[in-house]
Amino acid sequence: MSALNLQLADAKTKYRPGERLEGVAFWELSEKPRSLEVRLYWRTQGKGTVDLEIVRSVAFDGVALNDRRPFSMELPPGPYSVSGKLVSIVWGVELVAEPGGQSDHLEITISPSGEEVRLDRGGKS
Amino acid sequence: MRARDNPFRSERVLSLRYRLGGNWDALLARFERLGRRAAVVGPHGSGKTTLLEDLAPRLREAGFTTRPLRLDTETPRFEPGFLDRFFASLGPRDLILFDGAEQLGALAWHRFERRARAAAGLLVTQHRPGRLPTLVETSTTPELLETLVAQILGDAAELRPTLPALFERHQGNLRDALRELYDRYAAVSI
Repeated sequence: MSALNLQLADAKTKYRPGERLEGVAFWELSEKPRSLEVRLYWRTQGKGTVDLEIVRSVAFDGVALNDRRPFSMELPPGPYSVSGKLVSIVWGVELVAEPGGQSDHLEITISPSGEEVRLDRGGKS
Repeated sequence: MRARDNPFRSERVLSLRYRLGGNWDALLARFERLGRRAAVVGPHGSGKTTLLEDLAPRLREAGFTTRPLRLDTETPRFEPGFLDRFFASLGPRDLILFDGAEQLGALAWHRFERRARAAAGLLVTQHRPGRLPTLVETSTTPELLETLVAQILGDAAELRPTLPALFERHQGNLRDALRELYDRYAAVSI
């Protein structure tokens, strides 16, 4: 049985633009993966087409079947985590093993206050 | 309600799969009998695109390489030179899945269809029958709308009384009916 896990430092999920995101990826795999990487992405959710962009990625080299690696990446200036009636922008971090696409992911927020900006409340969190 | 919490957000609606009346093997066998050149025919919002998407992995399992093409009212034609590159790259096991073939005018369709004979197959979606033999006709019912709503919400009891009128208002276009439900939920203040 395989397992992939992500843990963010201090279990933090609220970040400010430009801040460093740090964490640990650990896994227990039954087969050696071709690639294993942590990706920082945002995606839209709502009424329209789903957009997704992978903003940063950290690839791990020479991985063992059971391993544990720290990672760190600087968060971009935007877009902020926002939600309105029509669209939300949701940030996430995922650990993905290929082939197979097995993954673990965590949702985070990025904004000046660290809270999701609510467009339906005049920009207040 | 936040867009991300709306049960009718597009990622949820797109996760609904086509509910085929018969079985997939029979449909694939019919496609073979039609010489692998056929059309999925049905009105707007009746599941043609979903059916095409759901057929793709089954065709790949059968040993074909699926080559998707899509036109719609927002993108009604291919960019200049695109089809030349597309047809030049076709392999002998490539099967073209063309969603929105009705966007091509008669002459453009005639050219396209002739060039597509080099492919292992051609499956298109269109609103009316005629250009290729019909593989399957997609249709909708108020009961199907209720089934899909129940699948999204877990239970359609609260909305059930309103669904027949919703179905009628959108003339059976389930995509538009589900979008209206999105708007209803979006209006809820949470």
